[in-house]
Amino acid sequence: MAERPFSAVDPVALSGSALALIGAMTLPFVEFRTSRIGIATYHGISVAAPVGYALLVALLACVAVAVLVPPRTRGAWLKGVGGVALVALGWALGVAASHLLTDASSISRVSTGAGAWVALVGLAIVEFAGSQALPSRGARLAFDAAIVVALAAALVLGGAEQLSLAREYAANVAEFWPEVARHLELAGAGVGFGVLLGVPLGVLAWRSSRAQRVVLGVVGVIQTIPSLALIGLLIAPLAALRVASPLLASLGLSGIGATPAVIALTLYALLPVVRGTYVGLAEVDPGAIEAGRGMGMSPTQLLLRVEMPLALPLLVDGIRTAAVLDIGIASVMFFAGAGGLGVFIFEGVGQVAPDLTLLGALPVIVLALIADGLLRALREASVSPGLRGEQS
Amino acid sequence: MIRFEQLTKRYDDRLAVDHLSLEVPDGRVCVLIGPSGSGKTTTLRMINRLIEPTGGRVLIDGRDTASLPTEELRRSLGYAIQSVGLFPHFTVAENVATVPRLLRWDKQRIRERVREVLALVGLEPDDYAARYPRQLSGGEAQRVGVARALAADPPVLLMDEPFGAVDPLTRGRLQGEFARIQRELRKTVVFVTHDVDEAIRLADLIAIMRDGRLVQYDTPETILDHPADGFVHDFVGADRALKRLGRVRVADVMRADVPHAAAEDAAALAKRDGGAGYAYVVDAEGRLLGWVDARMVREGRPCEEAVTRVRVEEASVGVDATLKEALSRMLGFGFRAIPVVDDAGVLLGEVGLDAAEAATEPGSRASQLRERSADGAPR
Amino acid sequence: MTRRTPLRRLLPPALAVVGFAWLVSAQWLWARVLATLYPGESPVLFPAGTLAQLTVRHLQLVGISSAITIAVGLPLGIWATRRSGRAFREIIVAAADVGQTFPPVAVLALSMPLLGLGALPTIVALFLYGLFPVVSGTIAGIEGVPRPIVDAAGGMGMDAGQLLRRVELPLASRVILAGIRISVIVNVGTATVGAAFGAGGLGGPIVGGLLVQNMAFITEGAVTAALLAILLDALLAALEGSVVPVAT
Repeated sequence: MAERPFSAVDPVALSGSALALIGAMTLPFVEFRTSRIGIATYHGISVAAPVGYALLVALLACVAVAVLVPPRTRGAWLKGVGGVALVALGWALGVAASHLLTDASSISRVSTGAGAWVALVGLAIVEFAGSQALPSRGARLAFDAAIVVALAAALVLGGAEQLSLAREYAANVAEFWPEVARHLELAGAGVGFGVLLGVPLGVLAWRSSRAQRVVLGVVGVIQTIPSLALIGLLIAPLAALRVASPLLASLGLSGIGATPAVIALTLYALLPVVRGTYVGLAEVDPGAIEAGRGMGMSPTQLLLRVEMPLALPLLVDGIRTAAVLDIGIASVMFFAGAGGLGVFIFEGVGQVAPDLTLLGALPVIVLALIADGLLRALREASVSPGLRGEQS
Repeated sequence: MIRFEQLTKRYDDRLAVDHLSLEVPDGRVCVLIGPSGSGKTTTLRMINRLIEPTGGRVLIDGRDTASLPTEELRRSLGYAIQSVGLFPHFTVAENVATVPRLLRWDKQRIRERVREVLALVGLEPDDYAARYPRQLSGGEAQRVGVARALAADPPVLLMDEPFGAVDPLTRGRLQGEFARIQRELRKTVVFVTHDVDEAIRLADLIAIMRDGRLVQYDTPETILDHPADGFVHDFVGADRALKRLGRVRVADVMRADVPHAAAEDAAALAKRDGGAGYAYVVDAEGRLLGWVDARMVREGRPCEEAVTRVRVEEASVGVDATLKEALSRMLGFGFRAIPVVDDAGVLLGEVGLDAAEAATEPGSRASQLRERSADGAPR
Repeated sequence: MTRRTPLRRLLPPALAVVGFAWLVSAQWLWARVLATLYPGESPVLFPAGTLAQLTVRHLQLVGISSAITIAVGLPLGIWATRRSGRAFREIIVAAADVGQTFPPVAVLALSMPLLGLGALPTIVALFLYGLFPVVSGTIAGIEGVPRPIVDAAGGMGMDAGQLLRRVELPLASRVILAGIRISVIVNVGTATVGAAFGAGGLGGPIVGGLLVQNMAFITEGAVTAALLAILLDALLAALEGSVVPVAT
């Protein structure tokens, strides 16, 4: 059988590894600043020698795997070599930081440069292509777990704590975790109230077509309003209300802080929850509903025992969307004075300290991804056993 | 006993059901039949008040259905519909247990009843109780639907084309099983269908409806022999004699005493003088294997060759089958008689062309059998 | 695909746009209303520019980034459904899904370390973030065209290019427009926060007002931003609705 080597090339893995290689070689690997807010000077990957060169070799190896290794074993090779490259990347960052900081003043800062970011993206693509080529779910899980552990080790042991981002964290650690907690509290409250209000509204919308138009219309309009604008629209009247009514003020109503933030987050959570409830209920087999009514179930019994359990997966999907949305919007709640990870994001802007901003932004992304993953799993679990194996 | 008094349903300017009055005696099957839009399903759903009447009333055992709280009324009536409507997230057992749970029966009683009623509809409880609806075939799902309707042992059953959603073969089987169950339980049943053959097979009384009005309300035989007007005449179709045969159970007209033996002896039996000229061949358990024609034996053929071995499903009829089906098979094979077997394939007897002829004569034993079982119905 | 748009259908949206434009330019009206609502505040109007200028700036941010997003995202999405891009389809779809899980504000924040402050990083962030719904929508729309229709067109002798132009894109256009609409509306919201990153626009009065506790500024920015978002959404919804849906 004639072999045609180029048809066996994995274009995705090739582009990913080529992107990483070119980025690492041509773009600045790290940035050096004499002080936290000083002007940056850029250094290439050579400053991370010798690990930096090992990284380049690993990236070359990725390219080679993408081109030369036959498809059958390519998945494992890609994940393996890609994993090694990721470890090298993490380690190289630490090494670069050590090199640049040894003779520098204690207030100097080293942060990841564009080249390192591009290499990271490229390697993510390589890992994705590797996962795709690996049919066994267990193998994928094993590789991913190993890579995460190894990368963490490389970062910790390689000296990455000297990177600016880590130093920002260290400097702000006392406030960091409380703000994370506050961020989750805000988002959680928003989703919680959103569910409490949204599920009944969704049921109402389903029962009455007039209610459906009104509810979905109103909730839809709310969704389009920019979060910053909504906060502004809430703060002004709330502040006025507080002045006008000492009673409400004594109850804790405030124009700033958690009150407008939670109100806004609840409002944004409404559309996904209402729509999830509505669509979930609409998917229930009408025959089952007629049979239930005919057998003598009261409307409440029908709702609780038949309609809601069957609508649950789509409702959980709606909650998932609401959670991801609220985690993102909670970052803006800084402007309401409510705290949260937005504190770091926007104070980083104010101080022109990009790594402080990163300290806020990266955890928000991680939290959103975790919430997304958890709620996807919850959705799977909420599909009743009678319906497993069907896709809705 | 169910009585409709001037039952009416008006939508805007249209009368879906027009002052319907009739009475369904206890323990009888009343079939509502008519073309689309005749109001039959609307009528049925006014009994359990899924649709509220705009006029008239429905009395069950003398009590006005409007006087009961809606849910209480519905829990006292069995309800089975064409789309079945099994709850997909409940097991078969949980589905069947729905009304008993609504009535707060205790768990032990529910468990026993579920097993009892699943067996009644022909589903082995140990096999089916834990299954989910998506694991059932169409016929099995409809049986569960019927079981669910029977679970709380209601005196009245409401059925809206319950066998409509399956293929004709399964439908025929389900009809036979329903007839068997009804013979055992003697429920008062109101049954909606658009299938004339189904009505003729299952009904004690047929109510033919058109444009919301009752056109004729009689036993199937009377409707076939004396249609009230041209519409009924056309509706039941020209093949009335054949349809009549759909009323007769093979079991009621078959000959049980037929020559049968194991293979070696069958040939001798077939050749016997004064005999029918053939004998059925059965195995050690009495299951039908085929038959031996005396002519083939006399020609000196070896016994093995002389035996016509048959596919039992094709060349026989079940004991619950109708005489119409038996006649159809006879004509299909060109035989004058066809063997009757039970569920296990054991030979029970045979039914012949003569039985079909006899059944279509007015005053024949077969038609008397059916007419006796339907009490007089008011016009 | 030609569509007759009778004048009567165009009138309400046109009126709304004209009304909004007038409202935004009526600086004097805002001054009067805000002064009445907040008697204690001074000044009442955000000094860094007239409301009209701020609105125009906001529209520039959204418009430029959306234009680039559509110019890049639409071909990218189409390519993912073609044979030549088949190998990349999975990662593109996965990236779009993951990307939409990223909070837009975080993406905006990430652009700062890389590109600094000002309008450019905001536009880049808006463009990148806006890509995800557009690419998603394009792929979903094209793949959602019923198979029998595609087969019939192929059977009639259309080549791939004609198939795309005359069949797939028109039938997918409703879903594609839905994706564009999501992208634009999210961008309006994100661009508002962009003011905190130095991009200007209607977020300026809001952020400025919050920082100095001036309720009038906040109201000026918030009301206008909200109205702008609602108006744009309504216009895009009308556009989406005027496209003939695929009969399934």
